Amino acid sequence: MEQIVRAHMPGLVARVVVNVGDRVQKGQEVAVINCMKTELSVQSEYDGVVKEILVKEWDEMEVGSPMVVLDVE
Amino acid sequence: MRHKDGEIVIKKLLIANRGEIVARIIRACRELDIKTVAVYSDADQNAPYLKDADEAYNLGPANPVKSYLNIEKLIEVLKISQADAVHPGYGFLAENYAFAQAVVSSGAIWVGPPPEVLKAIESKCYCRRIADSVGVPVLPGTNEPVRDANEIFQFAAKYGYPFLLKLDKGGGGKGIESVNSEEKIKGAFERLSRIGYMAFGNGDCYIEKQVMMPRHIEVQFLADHFGNYVCLGERECSIQRRYQKIIEESPSPVITEEDRQTLFNYTIKLAKAMGYRNAGTIEFLRSEDGSFYFMEVNARLQVEHPVTELVTGVDIVKSQLKIASGEKLDVEQEEINLRGHAIEARVYAEDPLSFVPSPGKIEKLVFPPANGHFLRIDHALEEGLSVPPYYDPMLAKVIAWGSTREEAIRRLREALAGFHIEGVKTIIPLNLMVLENNSFVSGQFYTGFVRELLAAK
Repeated sequence: MEQIVRAHMPGLVARVVVNVGDRVQKGQEVAVINCMKTELSVQSEYDGVVKEILVKEWDEMEVGSPMVVLDVE
Repeated sequence: MRHKDGEIVIKKLLIANRGEIVARIIRACRELDIKTVAVYSDADQNAPYLKDADEAYNLGPANPVKSYLNIEKLIEVLKISQADAVHPGYGFLAENYAFAQAVVSSGAIWVGPPPEVLKAIESKCYCRRIADSVGVPVLPGTNEPVRDANEIFQFAAKYGYPFLLKLDKGGGGKGIESVNSEEKIKGAFERLSRIGYMAFGNGDCYIEKQVMMPRHIEVQFLADHFGNYVCLGERECSIQRRYQKIIEESPSPVITEEDRQTLFNYTIKLAKAMGYRNAGTIEFLRSEDGSFYFMEVNARLQVEHPVTELVTGVDIVKSQLKIASGEKLDVEQEEINLRGHAIEARVYAEDPLSFVPSPGKIEKLVFPPANGHFLRIDHALEEGLSVPPYYDPMLAKVIAWGSTREEAIRRLREALAGFHIEGVKTIIPLNLMVLENNSFVSGQFYTGFVRELLAAK
């Protein structure tokens, strides 16, 4: 089934640190958000495989914006 | 309205920035009869200063790369508005050579140092070489970027640990790594080079021996186009969190009159050697034994300029506009006396202990009670305004003056205690913790002060 990693803070996408097909674990950093010039780590809440990346650098994020889609067993 | 040989030079100024500094520059322009052009991103369309500017233009999306950092768009606004000068404020494009050059190439005046000076001083190694060449002390380190990790091992063998690896074109507290052992050299070097490429398009690093328990002292100066220079005293900026200042004051509690003359002498030597014009700041580190070392040049108006204005009576923004218009400095070094003491607290929208940013809507806003000309608050706040997550977290600067340092600190504490902002978290509780701390009040502190204060909690 699919799960979505969402932004926990508003800001701009600084970078996405995973690629489609990567296996990620719960607690692993998948992206970084720049909020007020501070970089905040966005971590996966699930074990799974990256299915789709929905954002790119500089995209504007709100709290809850979808960032990465995971395939979760 | 400024005159040069009877001709009006700056009639209309484009302010290429956002936030409190726009309001500050508009005030100076009003006193000089200069019309103002403000710009705003979609996230700032309700900024209160837009009503105070004579004209305001939308730059586009909130993303700063598409708005406040968009040189093409800003030059378009410059042309449409027919402004004849640009003040870049601080941050964003304030020290950007390409922007300064584009402004000058389009026939407008750049309110700042000449573009070629901005280009040269982008390189910290260049600045170290200049300082070396005119006899201003620099810390042991490299005056050229290091080519490989071997060079770093050699430096460590000669000078020991710890030392700092810094990006040649870094800034704003970014691109600094402290190295305290041999095992950490390779990792730090690779990490920093990578950050440099990503953030600044240049991964060159240089080495600087680390000073233990340093103080950050800087000198504000003005330079006109006729070879005149004046130093407007020093600022003590040692109270920092994550290499960024939160409390600044002038004069410094540790600087003697003899120190001051030494620092002024260094500053003018450096400014002359760089061909610097307009307002600038030279940052120095003071080691525990009282020695001073050149750190870097800040080629712009600085956030903390108000403390200097309060102790010298010189309006730095007006001075910048006059110098840019080709006027001679109207003040001489002998006329500059530091009167009393001024201290500033930066109010950031952050958790006061963790420094996690806190954007949001300002639900309630109560300013401190007025205290005549002893209190100045520079801000661009309004109840109901949204503080966007895309830009710097600074909400306001609260600056107090006193006839003594104690009086200034006391007034600043009173003001901060009466400053209520709801809807976003602020670091006011941390500012107050610092201002009430005995070591701070007695002038005994260094740049690690805030870190130690919070670790002790």
